[in-house]
Amino acid sequence: MPESTCASRLRAAHRIFAAASAAVAAAAAILVAAGDAAAQAEITIRGTSKHVISVANFSGSGGADAANIVRADLAKSGFFNIAPNPSGVYSALGGVNGSALAGTLRSPDGKELFSRRYAGPDLRRNAHTFAADIVAEVTGVRGIANSQIAFVAGGSGNKEIYLCDYDGANVRKVTRDGKISVSPSISPDGSQIAYTSYRSGFPDIYLIDLRSGSRSRIINAPGTNSGAAISPDGKKIALTMSWPGNPELFVTGMGGGKGKRLTNTPGVESSPTWSPDGRSLIFTGDSGGRPLLYKMSSGGGGPQRLSVGYNYCTEPNWSPDGKRLAFNIRQGGSHAVAVYDFASGRSKIVASGGAEDPCWGPDSRHLVFAQSGGLVVLDVDSGARRSIVSGMGASEPSWTR
Amino acid sequence: MHARLLPIALTAVFAFAGPGCKNKNADPYGNGGTGWGADGAGGWGNGGWGEGGNVTELPARDERYSWESGNVQRGAFSHVYFGFDRFDIAPAERGKVQQVASYLRQNSGKSLLIAGFTDSIGTAEYNRALGERRAQAVRSALIGLGIPGDRVQTLSFGEDLPADPGNHAANRRAEFGLY
Repeated sequence: MPESTCASRLRAAHRIFAAASAAVAAAAAILVAAGDAAAQAEITIRGTSKHVISVANFSGSGGADAANIVRADLAKSGFFNIAPNPSGVYSALGGVNGSALAGTLRSPDGKELFSRRYAGPDLRRNAHTFAADIVAEVTGVRGIANSQIAFVAGGSGNKEIYLCDYDGANVRKVTRDGKISVSPSISPDGSQIAYTSYRSGFPDIYLIDLRSGSRSRIINAPGTNSGAAISPDGKKIALTMSWPGNPELFVTGMGGGKGKRLTNTPGVESSPTWSPDGRSLIFTGDSGGRPLLYKMSSGGGGPQRLSVGYNYCTEPNWSPDGKRLAFNIRQGGSHAVAVYDFASGRSKIVASGGAEDPCWGPDSRHLVFAQSGGLVVLDVDSGARRSIVSGMGASEPSWTR
Repeated sequence: MHARLLPIALTAVFAFAGPGCKNKNADPYGNGGTGWGADGAGGWGNGGWGEGGNVTELPARDERYSWESGNVQRGAFSHVYFGFDRFDIAPAERGKVQQVASYLRQNSGKSLLIAGFTDSIGTAEYNRALGERRAQAVRSALIGLGIPGDRVQTLSFGEDLPADPGNHAANRRAEFGLY
């Protein structure tokens, strides 16, 4: 598909799409009539108009396995169909030497789009990064293939922080305290995790540097300190502290301390999430009599209610592109995950049946959430879902950006 | 500090005097389910966002004494139970808080740890904040009954450490620890 802009791709896809299926075109017309033209048309069409790419087996020892990883990543991205031969489609070529991978992407007309060497010590990770770069080059969207997800697993009173790759592979334990470790926030670059631990006997915020393995307790105010959210620039933490005599929102530096107090209410404020530019926060507040979503400046000021169409909303998570907000609602006595679109002002339920704690992936298209003690990754635009972790008592996922 | 505490103690007396008190915001037990000013009436303004109420800062922690450290006496008092998604102390539960206050008044060397808990219905992080709010509602009530706030520390476990897994009503609670 030679179009260079998102809009032209969408228009072209829409023409093909409408010609191919009168029934779906009618459905699209209904959505347009519902007053949600831009957002819904994009969602409908993005899920059905995929780029086509061929990935030949890479040369060198381990080349076939590495090519398989790239193929799987591209298929899971939601943006690509995999073709058996390279004529008239994008093509990815590669060569493996030890753990290093040299990767090249060519356009459907044979032009080289990029050629890069991935020299990290782990061939699997290098293949993931090549796949993420392909997604970024063709779609302009940051790929998820080389991303990481931090999460909580374990039973009551004994929970640890874990990490895994975006596809659930490579699960490893980060904490080994035998205490309650919860509410992880992984930094956008994946180098640090802020989380809540009851290691001291009290709930405090700890910061782990994943490169050095060092850990420090950065916030230990009286009461409960929890819900840390690392800012998009990796320099601040928004969280709930209760030392004033009530749970309130604060923003601190990465070193912790008392920070700046943002709210002063008699109710409960929790679960702040940052806008991509770091200027705003959305959080759950119950001063309206039930948990609802509010938006405020991360520098302080009056919170404004964000009306998303539901009257019980918790655990908001702002997409990296700033366009959508995922959050929990209650539906029929169970949790569901809904997505609010800022441009259209409309929400829709994307997962029900006990889905909890949604978090966007770096592509602002995939969501990870907890369900039935496992983790599920959902392509919000196509509806495709994959279980990536099961049977661990998993919860509270946090995705790199 | 004392000047701030006095009106709280007075309103507490009125609250215990009977159901005649209509000023929700003066009730140290919150109002009908959602806490002070939850309905936006009576002074909070801006839909309930405004100045904080009858709350006092927590004292510095003494980490030698924590909920699971073994040197905190748990079970000396009855748990205080809460309604779903609520942190106000229902009339039927207030006698339990009065008993704790009475003990603390007579044992001035003792300090109190209040742990707040929730059922597993809500989401995990919201429940941590809600559990803390429950513990703090009990602390505020004790302060209203004349107990100095610096003798009372709080923490929340949210939905962790349920008293009776799956029994939601039994898990929505505040527990007391003495040290």
